[in-house]
Amino acid sequence: MKFHWFAEVTYPHLPADFPRRYHSAWVDPPPHLLDPRKVGEVYRMFIRLMQHADRVGFDGLAVNEHHQTAFAMTPSPNLLAASLASSTQNAAILVIGDSIALYNPPIRVAEEMAYLDCLSDGRLIAGFVFGTPMDSVFSYGIPPIELRERFHEARTLILRAWQAQEPFAFNGTYTKLRYVNPWPRPVQRPHPPVWVPGSGSVETWDLVIDENYCYGHLSFSGLRSAKPIVDGFWEHVAKRGGDTNPHRMAFTQICCVAETDAQAERDYYEAVKYFYSHNPVAPGFAQPPGYQTLRSLRAAMERGTGRGITNEDRQRAASGEMSFWEYDEKGFIIAGTPERVRQRIRELATSLRVGQLIATLHMGNLPEEVARKNTELFGREVIPYLRDLWADQPDYWTPLESQRRVAAAAQVAASV
Amino acid sequence: MVHAEAQRTQGQLSTHVVGACHIRLWSAGDGSPVLYLHGFEQHPGPARFLQRLAQHRRVYAPELPGYGGSTGFEALEGVLGVTLYHRQLVESLGIDTVDLIGHSLGGMLAAEFAAICPHRTRRLVLVNAYGLWLDDVPLPDPFVMGEKDLAAAKWANPALAASEPSIGIAEPESRYAATLERMKNLAIATKFMWPIPDRGLRRRLPLIQAPTLIVHGTADRLIPRVYAEEFARLIPNARLVMIDGAGHLPMVEQEDAFIYAVQTFLSE
Repeated sequence: MKFHWFAEVTYPHLPADFPRRYHSAWVDPPPHLLDPRKVGEVYRMFIRLMQHADRVGFDGLAVNEHHQTAFAMTPSPNLLAASLASSTQNAAILVIGDSIALYNPPIRVAEEMAYLDCLSDGRLIAGFVFGTPMDSVFSYGIPPIELRERFHEARTLILRAWQAQEPFAFNGTYTKLRYVNPWPRPVQRPHPPVWVPGSGSVETWDLVIDENYCYGHLSFSGLRSAKPIVDGFWEHVAKRGGDTNPHRMAFTQICCVAETDAQAERDYYEAVKYFYSHNPVAPGFAQPPGYQTLRSLRAAMERGTGRGITNEDRQRAASGEMSFWEYDEKGFIIAGTPERVRQRIRELATSLRVGQLIATLHMGNLPEEVARKNTELFGREVIPYLRDLWADQPDYWTPLESQRRVAAAAQVAASV
Repeated sequence: MVHAEAQRTQGQLSTHVVGACHIRLWSAGDGSPVLYLHGFEQHPGPARFLQRLAQHRRVYAPELPGYGGSTGFEALEGVLGVTLYHRQLVESLGIDTVDLIGHSLGGMLAAEFAAICPHRTRRLVLVNAYGLWLDDVPLPDPFVMGEKDLAAAKWANPALAASEPSIGIAEPESRYAATLERMKNLAIATKFMWPIPDRGLRRRLPLIQAPTLIVHGTADRLIPRVYAEEFARLIPNARLVMIDGAGHLPMVEQEDAFIYAVQTFLSE
């Protein structure tokens, strides 16, 4: 089993009354609440934390793309990825991912990702995302009805650009290029592993099955909430005759590790509450027409919210009304001693058949020293004890170079 | 006799094929032809205002491909694609020149038709039409509004919202049919109206040769009256009729005033 370090680059200085005073942390949060100097501090902190994660045995360092939100101030994940590619040694650079429908021309993504693969010496994972509605159709203005078509056109162009032996012409609907010939090209051949996260759309399932990509279920609602969707994914994979290797499934999970369970509550409760409660999405921004296909919309409605986790629990989590241990019990977080966290991750990974855990080890307004401790304990006291999971199955979705380097570093660490 | 008259204007809904598009087409009445293009939310069905227009004219009200029970949207490329499809539709009905009435999004598409197909356009009526953008008076975003806010923006009297005429749901068997149908319709509208309902029409309006009537419900908070004035300024032979006590749907909220203005103009 693989473990990737991740955090949303959240603005940690929103006022306590933010959720009551403002309708959305996305698209139109008031700019006067933002202090650019403090944003710089946040950026530098995340670079330090991820460099540390590289030293304590993580398989990947995950970065993502969001726009116009206090929740995640990473408009181009490639920028953070570039900082890491040049200052880390072992871990994969997991860009999860670039919102490829938004880049014009999308060849920019082919170039920047190739740059990252060169700079990291073949450690890049290329994630392609649709982006949330708030990102792609509100902040970046793409008509929802065009989003999927633009995504697939961009994906086709990028993959072809990485592999073509000669310059070629590309006559797409949205992108027309007479000469496609990116310099640089990726180190990994034929191209870096591709990951595509989704939120349960059948079309995305079909895509990852057809292309044998790694699928990601990136939510912060935990095992119970994800169970119906992830089970549905695996059923679909089996039905379509796809690869059921657990390493082709990634899952995000907030983890809060401490010396004792009581210490975990002291260390993390405030930050967990900040993370969930300072992230309102105005209703109008959440579900614009055309963002999902009718087929997926119908499937989501029929799946309902009755299974998994109740709407009431979702709302209580989002309002910060849950106790620390209720967040844990309902699966939003996994907290406690390394032993407890190991056991619960084992349960989660087995239940969901997940081979790539995107461990979210900083959340909300957590202080750097606590996040550093979390990283250290997770790297040294959790990861090594879960390496047996899915060890019998090959991992085609993490770069060979990072797998080799992380394994070598683990051997050195074990021998001292 | 009265019965036959009622039947004649009640009209009928049929499936009509235009190229790759299979559309629902409501038609009624006799006389010279009128093509009615519906707004961004849905086809109004056999609405009373359409039946009244059909008392003196042959009225065709097609459902836009992609909406409700009409297919073929994928085959159309943007505004020009839809305009050429409308030309094919008119020609498929054996019509030489047509009077066009376009409401809301249909107003944008009707104006495009008149600019690009002057030889097929006799007279043009635009009703609370989309298609322009004024930096000083930015339009609100109809796609983020909740039901209540949208009703408040659309109607002079929001209590009328429940009485809005509609063609009805194409696949009523699903539990979520109404919600899904609305999402399906609005998704198509985003092709022309997202994020800003401006696809360059401003540059084409001066090419319109047909005499044009701009009808505008003055209480419309989706499209303020200054937009109607801008249409009238840019179209060479246009005149403006403001209808008070009506919002985005003057043909529903002030049916008599609407019918009077349109019939007077079309029979000139």
